[in-house]
Amino acid sequence: MEFKEVVGRRRSIRFFEPDKPVEREKIQVILETARLASCAVNAHWLRAIVVDRDKLPPDKLNQLKTPVAALTLDLAPVHIYFFCDLGVVKRIKGSRLRELVDVGALAPTHGWSHKFVDEFVYPQILEPMTNNLQGYLAAAMADCGGAAQNALLAAFDEGLGACLNTPNPVLTKQVFGVPDDWVSLWVMLVGYPAESWEAGGQRPRPVFEELYFEGDINTPFRRDSGVVEKLKAAGMITRPAPLPERRQEIMQLAERLNLPM
Amino acid sequence: MEEGRGKEEGGAAVTKAGFSDAATVRTWVDGLREQWGEEPGDMADRLEVFQRFCAFVEREPDAIIEECSREVEGGKRIRIKKRRFYSEKIDEFQASMDGDARAQARAGNVVRSFMIHNGIFMQGGVSG
Repeated sequence: MEFKEVVGRRRSIRFFEPDKPVEREKIQVILETARLASCAVNAHWLRAIVVDRDKLPPDKLNQLKTPVAALTLDLAPVHIYFFCDLGVVKRIKGSRLRELVDVGALAPTHGWSHKFVDEFVYPQILEPMTNNLQGYLAAAMADCGGAAQNALLAAFDEGLGACLNTPNPVLTKQVFGVPDDWVSLWVMLVGYPAESWEAGGQRPRPVFEELYFEGDINTPFRRDSGVVEKLKAAGMITRPAPLPERRQEIMQLAERLNLPM
Repeated sequence: MEEGRGKEEGGAAVTKAGFSDAATVRTWVDGLREQWGEEPGDMADRLEVFQRFCAFVEREPDAIIEECSREVEGGKRIRIKKRRFYSEKIDEFQASMDGDARAQARAGNVVRSFMIHNGIFMQGGVSG
């Protein structure tokens, strides 16, 4: 699938084929894609635990259910729990930045050297940053978000459906016994969609010009309708919700999966 | 006891006539109508199942919703313990129904639908 089409087809899928297994290879593709996400100081805070729903003991599965996500946890055959490993920066102490210098990604042309990393970046920026939990969390979680978004797009590129949910962080840590400095983030539910790929249509979004600006905050970024048309042709901007057939689709899914309406 | 309401066999606190007039039942029916575009053809059956549930828990429809929510500054809140209580009662009610697992879940979903359309968030499991 072309990149623009993948972006256009991604939406939160909440109806999965509960009994259709997901190929292990596709899960690996999702994880490989997450690993290649952009990441500040090349730290890579994101950790993932892949769970086969049917291999999880029922008491643990029930523990992980939140009121809002109980049904989707039942429906999705694969759950990927994402965590933020806050301990990584102090463990690697700038070594991955040094690696970037070694491989020429950070070059002297831009002021980078091992000495700069060892004597300035780690001791004066990174290490102190980890002591300001609020700021550190924001930075680390933002990078995790980027990696999780990569993972989501990969799932759709593989013909799967997926959505991110927020699990109960305390229970998630208990169930998986992760280290204390891992912060529970999201669970990505993965499976083959039981709903059509459009899933009711592309979700409503705020007006473009209310989100993006040009030069200053008073000048909305001008949206060119020609570009919009090109994106429609490329499959990135698709039919907007609500689609006329959605109500019927939900009724049929409710009937087939025996869900309340 | 309000006019037109009386204790039925099995402990139900509402007569059939009074039952449909309950504000929460009207909210439910209106919600279904809005969701489906018209009143579901099997609405009478649904009402009957729900009335059996009311008898099962010995509560009137409005009382169930009232128990599950409370007014606080800034809006309505769901009472978690009561929500869990009714969620378990629905599971029990479902298990007590005749028929296969799918038919039983269908009955439970009727009650869940009543709760959902009255703003009490609830989900059933996958069955059948």
